[in-house]
Amino acid sequence: MDDIPVMSFEEVSKIYPLPAGDVTALDRVSFQVDRGEFISVMGPSGSGKSTLLNLMGCLDTPTTGDIYISGTRTGDMSDVELTNLRRDRIGFIFQYFNLFPLLNIIENVTFPMVLKSQHSVDPERGREVLRSVQLEEKLFTHTPTELSGGQQQRVAIARALVNNPDILLCDEPTGNLDSKTGAGIMDLMTELNRKGTTIIMVTHDPHIAEYSRRTILIADGRIVS
Amino acid sequence: MIFWEIAKRNIRLHFLRSTLAMLGIVIGVIAIASMGILGNSLVASVSDNLKSVGDSVIVTPYAGGGSGHFGGGGGSTASLKITDQNFQQIKRVAAPNKAIPVYSTSDHMKIGVGSDDIVAAIYALPSDDVPDMMKLQAGDYNNGNSGCLVGSTFAKDHNLKVGSRISIGTSGDKGALRVTGIIEERGMSFDISTDNSLIVTPEWMENAYNRDKDYDEVVVKVKDGDTATVKTNIEKQLNKHKDNKIVSVMDSKATLASIYSTFGMVTTFVTAIGGISMIVAGVSIFNIMMMSVNERIKEIGIMRSIGTQKKEVMSMFIYEAAIIGIIGSIIGGILSLLAGYAISALMLNSTKYLFTLATAISVTEGVAFGIVICLACGIYPAWQAANMNPIDALRHE
Repeated sequence: MDDIPVMSFEEVSKIYPLPAGDVTALDRVSFQVDRGEFISVMGPSGSGKSTLLNLMGCLDTPTTGDIYISGTRTGDMSDVELTNLRRDRIGFIFQYFNLFPLLNIIENVTFPMVLKSQHSVDPERGREVLRSVQLEEKLFTHTPTELSGGQQQRVAIARALVNNPDILLCDEPTGNLDSKTGAGIMDLMTELNRKGTTIIMVTHDPHIAEYSRRTILIADGRIVS
Repeated sequence: MIFWEIAKRNIRLHFLRSTLAMLGIVIGVIAIASMGILGNSLVASVSDNLKSVGDSVIVTPYAGGGSGHFGGGGGSTASLKITDQNFQQIKRVAAPNKAIPVYSTSDHMKIGVGSDDIVAAIYALPSDDVPDMMKLQAGDYNNGNSGCLVGSTFAKDHNLKVGSRISIGTSGDKGALRVTGIIEERGMSFDISTDNSLIVTPEWMENAYNRDKDYDEVVVKVKDGDTATVKTNIEKQLNKHKDNKIVSVMDSKATLASIYSTFGMVTTFVTAIGGISMIVAGVSIFNIMMMSVNERIKEIGIMRSIGTQKKEVMSMFIYEAAIIGIIGSIIGGILSLLAGYAISALMLNSTKYLFTLATAISVTEGVAFGIVICLACGIYPAWQAANMNPIDALRHE
């Protein structure tokens, strides 16, 4: 099982048909991500980073080529199957945290567990993950707007981890935080990676990219290094 | 049930907006249910007034066109009568049901010395048959030749009691009658309207008005309820010739059914007018559901990206519409009882028809319609939310 790459792209292209002519956002991209890796994806604006992230997160499908998540080809999957794949195997961390304002911290974190079990869940697992991302226990019943940016991002990381995904996809995870808080979040992600979590992180910031062990540089829809 | 919880909290967050939408549903349910209650109460009220005549077949001289068998020839109905021969035929055909011959006229009369001259209807029917047609609230059926029964309204209006005397005719030339009984209120009826009239014996009528077995109508009291057959048999026997009809026959049960049907249509019509306010409320629900979806596009994108199925997103919005619909409709149902009470009290001067099965059905229909409208108006916004492209939704600011 450990020999199978967590994610693999084979000759993946994404072309957007527009009235003014087709736009190739990704052009025959191939790479693979092994279990336990910590990868940064860097590149200038419009290089195809967001398209790549959407394809990695199974939010979009390639025009040509194949994507495999833990050995499973995603091209033939229905919307329901892709949604289940996102729920069970992929954890998302966003730049703007994207917590649910109507739910408190524990409810936000256990939300993916509820989706998976279809029943009410034991909040203890939520508390356990929140403790692992070093969030103070007294904040567990607060609402997201009562927390600082750094605290909200820790909650978002806990939510992404709660279903034990194969891979964490991070979109500028420190982009909305000050440098000190951002460093704290990166320390946490480094620690998670050290414990075995596979992380792919899209970032503009070279200092943040230094936390990763491999960098994929993308330009004009192609991997350049 | 996390999506139910989110739906509840969103309603709480936008309490004023949700309350206003709910108010629309409340008004819609009140409009539908109270109109239904009013219609049902009207039918019940009319039914109550007419139920005593639902077992009658009323035979009157044929007045329309024809050869004028009774000398009328399509002229004044006053000259049209049912002969004794015809009455005997009706009696045979209607047997074993009882056929009651009725004389009717109207005349001036005075009650006591120096009282005002009044005009009222006078009916004459055989004393033995009177108990089949009416009940007394005071006095005795046995009115003798110079006795009479008076209707309850007539007695009340002119302060008559058993034993009172009434002189009939412009100057009392038809003689005087003594009140021997007061008839219970019968309300509207197809045969004879007793509430404002006098009932005398045929013998007195024949003497006073020179009548000789030329009846104004014949009432057949049908025991087994099959008034339609009795009507058909009488028509077959007496109106053998299409161009020479002798009698007109009215089946009171069929007439009642026709009246009920008309009231039913009126009820449906006014309820439909109430339904317009429900449709307006539905548009309001649709509007706030679309607002709810548009405000939460990003949230929907996040949900979809972390593994929420389309049907789960859809359920969240359907729950929201359902909560507004159920609460609004139940409140509307309760208030419609109060509205129905007020309308009945004002329009019918009675609320005795309010707590009936028909009222329960009207309220249930109003509540069910409210809930269905809310759900129907929530489906499209919910569907739109569920089918958003998660990437576009995530990018939404």
